[in-house]
Amino acid sequence: MALECTISEFGAARLAHVIGRVDSATAGELEKSLAPLFDTPGRHAIVDLSALDYISSAGLRIVLMSAKRAKQIQARLILCGMAPHVREVFEISGFMKILEVTNDPASAQALL
Amino acid sequence: MDSPLPELRQKTLLLDYQLPAQLQEIEKLASAVEDALPERSDLAFSANLCLDELITNTVLHGLQGAENRVIRVRMSMSEDWLEIIIKDDAPQFDPFVQVPPPDLDVDLDDRAVGGLGVHLVKTLMDEARTYYDGSGNLIVLLKTLRKNT
Repeated sequence: MALECTISEFGAARLAHVIGRVDSATAGELEKSLAPLFDTPGRHAIVDLSALDYISSAGLRIVLMSAKRAKQIQARLILCGMAPHVREVFEISGFMKILEVTNDPASAQALL
Repeated sequence: MDSPLPELRQKTLLLDYQLPAQLQEIEKLASAVEDALPERSDLAFSANLCLDELITNTVLHGLQGAENRVIRVRMSMSEDWLEIIIKDDAPQFDPFVQVPPPDLDVDLDDRAVGGLGVHLVKTLMDEARTYYDGSGNLIVLLKTLRKNT
């Protein structure tokens, strides 16, 4: 499967696991999968990207929209577990300056 | 006028690939690129990201979903350079000149959604040029192998 996304409860937050490839063909699927993260005002979201192999600008667009949505509902969105090559894409895009990023879900939770 | 591109001496053709101009074909191309660069997964990742961004633009905007169109990709390597050539038959368009750069220095509220694809290509590659020959656009990308290895 090109892209898989599951959401579970994680303490006071919700945790999404994104697995596989996010490109222009699968970005719409990611947007739909992440939407439930932002249906409860004040409920924080952690997105684990440790199994994300690949992301293009189509996927970055969804990440940025998600961060904006989280802010709208007074919640935090924390990304974690990026592989170095994925992190580089976020850096080039200037996203490390505007998004919260940690190493793993536990350290993301510790920030909340 | 752009300065001339460096000449690639003794280059080896690694991949000559034709894909139907559809978004779901890009993942198959990505596998072929990975197979062509088995010992350089870092280069394969950069090559694939650039191919994805530029081909996605061509499919969605250049060809506007037209069917039965083909995009040709060739990837070669010399001692010093990785070269990627993309040929389409879409109307003339130079993404490296015509797409405005994104503003990366604004906060979350002011960041525009989208517009990052061409910026990623320009950052990951050392040279990115578009030529129009009357029948389509020919994009030439070069990445040096001399640094960051």
